[in-house]
Amino acid sequence: MYFPRPSRLIAGFVLAGLVGLVMYFLPVFQSASTATSRTGPLPIQVGDPLRSATGPFTVLLLGSDDDAKFPQDRVNTQSMLLVRVDPTAKQATMLSIPRDLWVPIPGQGMGKISTAYQTGGADGAVAAVESNFQVHIDEYVWIGLEGLVHLVDELGGVDMVITNPVMDDFYPADINTNDPYGYYRVAVLPGAAHLDGVHALQYVRSRHGDLRGDFARSERQQQLLMAIKARAEHLNAADIPGVAEAMQGELKTTIGLARLRVLLSMAGAFNGSSVHRVLLLPPNTSEGTAAGQDVVLPDWSQILPLVHQSFP
Amino acid sequence: MCLFGFGVYHAAAVFKGARTQIQRPTDATAPALPGTIYVVQGQAIYRFDHGSFRRITAEEGWMQPAVSPDGGVLVAVKRSLNRSDVYELGSTGRVPLPLTHNQAESVEGNHWAFYPRFSPDASRVYFSYDPKDPDNNYRVDLAIFATSSDPQSSQTVQWTQPNEYTGGDVEPVPLEHGGLMYTKFSIDEQSIVHSQVWFQAAPGSAGAALTKPADDCAQPAVSKDETMVAMVCRHGGLESTDLELAQLDESTPALGAARVVVHGGLVASPEFSPDGKLLAYLAPASASGPFQLWTVAPNSASAPAPRQITTHLDLDPSSAPAWTNS
Repeated sequence: MYFPRPSRLIAGFVLAGLVGLVMYFLPVFQSASTATSRTGPLPIQVGDPLRSATGPFTVLLLGSDDDAKFPQDRVNTQSMLLVRVDPTAKQATMLSIPRDLWVPIPGQGMGKISTAYQTGGADGAVAAVESNFQVHIDEYVWIGLEGLVHLVDELGGVDMVITNPVMDDFYPADINTNDPYGYYRVAVLPGAAHLDGVHALQYVRSRHGDLRGDFARSERQQQLLMAIKARAEHLNAADIPGVAEAMQGELKTTIGLARLRVLLSMAGAFNGSSVHRVLLLPPNTSEGTAAGQDVVLPDWSQILPLVHQSFP
Repeated sequence: MCLFGFGVYHAAAVFKGARTQIQRPTDATAPALPGTIYVVQGQAIYRFDHGSFRRITAEEGWMQPAVSPDGGVLVAVKRSLNRSDVYELGSTGRVPLPLTHNQAESVEGNHWAFYPRFSPDASRVYFSYDPKDPDNNYRVDLAIFATSSDPQSSQTVQWTQPNEYTGGDVEPVPLEHGGLMYTKFSIDEQSIVHSQVWFQAAPGSAGAALTKPADDCAQPAVSKDETMVAMVCRHGGLESTDLELAQLDESTPALGAARVVVHGGLVASPEFSPDGKLLAYLAPASASGPFQLWTVAPNSASAPAPRQITTHLDLDPSSAPAWTNS
């Protein structure tokens, strides 16, 4: 009869344990191999990886309608948020870019900035923001509507203070539907709330019933980002496979594990007072029409000094 | 060895960040409180008395119960896709009778009804409702209406005129001498949203703010003797709220200086106990998470210590606890 030597037995158990761990973290590897679809390199400085992970950096957050109204690779970005994170100073700045901002788009001509992603993907969106706002972008994160719902649900919901009733009689019923042009009524009631993914999406996506239109939506998107950050403080490495699995196909990013680790470790250090929020309200912008469309016209003489205070 | 690997796979999940385990109220026990409190979880209304919960409606969109002055009748909202209606139902939940009829064929033809409250004499029910703007169907602002508490009657009066495109007027509290306290929203020149506790003496009258815009106070609750007002204020913040208490002078009307009873965190929907000695409110068990039932003694001479009543529930924070003697 054959009996394995103790060293073989131990090696076998170690191997079995490793296989178990690999299987547990498999969604992370799958997500890493399929989610990032950037076609060209970002102009990230190559250097000491630890330094680049802990030094200040700028991220472009892109939120898209990825519903049935659009071909999968031709979606708009309904929200664009430029975020500057300084891990050492524990400071961050969030700048919301109006989706209807009328700007020159590299390779396309004049257009709404939301269409830059539609025609050029993440590279196109990054290029449009970099060229118009004269900033350097280190990373991007793109998330689809369902991705946001899954993320919030995987986090166990988010805690928000709803400032006023968010009412919308024409909220798009465009997810998991045969009629992407359908709509339904939304009423998100005011006060402290614990929102699941669907209701969090309603809160940040609705815009019809608010005097401030898209600006109100931008403000709520910044608020949700802070709420997600607050929930992420409770995450640890064992949660990442679940998050990655929930986000399959709904998240694309250039952020690597080193920077992600830094972000997670410092999430608790940020609070309301250490995060500066910027909206491009009038007089930085004004409503107007161009090429037969309702657009938001930028006043760059006001916007650029404001941007360069926080985004070198 | 395979079993060991399988065990490692499952053991890894043990290290996931702590997630609150949610219980159904009927599976939970809690310290007894005087009287009866109605709360909402999972779209059902629960009756809490003698330290245990009993479900009195199905899990079918029920929310925001309010109790009649004698404790014998409830009004509550039943919400479904695109609309909600106010119903009158017995204190054990049976035989709901609709007070509003908000269903329409077109999506945008439906109406909302929220925050029902009995008048102190129980003759009327006040609630928020969205009248349609004939000039702009994108505008959906809630206004406060009052209707007879008799389901056979259809006499309804619009009390308030909301500021346009703010979401409207909510959380009515009818007062003994016929006035109405509620929450009104406004948007200032810097595009900042404010909420204020507002008072109105009669339907359509001008009304007056009882709190400053910068305090962002909302969700007023009035003690039964109408001398004290509890409210939730966020002071411009978007991440936390305070539970505050102020004296009410109904003759002016005016509120005295507000005193913070519970500072920070997420506080929602206060309600006085029938004898005015306790305030019930909803807040997460820790800094975040699902909402639990708490109480605090508002008249405590020293800093009052909040008392957590439930631990693993997921109560609806937009449904104030409805507290009655009976």
